[in-house]
Amino acid sequence: MEVKTDSTRPMADTRTTDVPLQPDPVIEAYKKDIDRGMLVNNLRRTVDERLRELLRMEAFMDELRRGRRA
Amino acid sequence: MTQFDVLLQTLTGAGVEFIVIGGVAANVHGSVRHTRDLDIVYARSAGNIAKLVAAMRDHAPYLRGAAPGLPFKWDEQTIAAGLNFTLTTALGEFDILGEVTGGGGYEDLLPHSTETTAFGVTFRCVSLPKLIALKRAAGRPRDFDAIAELELLLELRGSEQ
Repeated sequence: MEVKTDSTRPMADTRTTDVPLQPDPVIEAYKKDIDRGMLVNNLRRTVDERLRELLRMEAFMDELRRGRRA
Repeated sequence: MTQFDVLLQTLTGAGVEFIVIGGVAANVHGSVRHTRDLDIVYARSAGNIAKLVAAMRDHAPYLRGAAPGLPFKWDEQTIAAGLNFTLTTALGEFDILGEVTGGGGYEDLLPHSTETTAFGVTFRCVSLPKLIALKRAAGRPRDFDAIAELELLLELRGSEQ
């Protein structure tokens, strides 16, 4: 049986890289209030340092929650 | 308190196939926002579900927000019959997703993930562009400032190259 192909259809996108998203005006508005300096500093840390900081933050938040319940 | 370190060490030690998403993934990529839970997408093969169940069995997993005393059984049948579970455990809050909006399952996300190392273990984490896409696809207003921060991080990383 002959298999017909449609040469007008675009080839499947086999890229594994991520496709850039279009800017969202609502998201763009939120960017104005973000401390870029803090992000730049955090990007200087290793992943391990970032997650250890997250863990410290979680421990602190847990203390606050316990304090509220006391 | 969620013990992100012990959770990740437990999962990797048990050989569970998973990809970190959500707030912990955001922190991996440089976010300074706090998150209370570890979110993962897990492979839904029978073998991987068995490993996941065994890894968490001793840590009292239970449905978060559910009334106490419900007949929730943490076993392979339960995980296989369901898909996404938001859990409270002895190690803290832990969300396991078989599929995520805008991203699909583990195999779909795998090409959009990379290995990273923290707490002495190596695990897979969703890429920053894909994390942004997932948060956008979820469409929750409460995520707008988180998405803005992630997009800024992407811009900052791009400007470093």
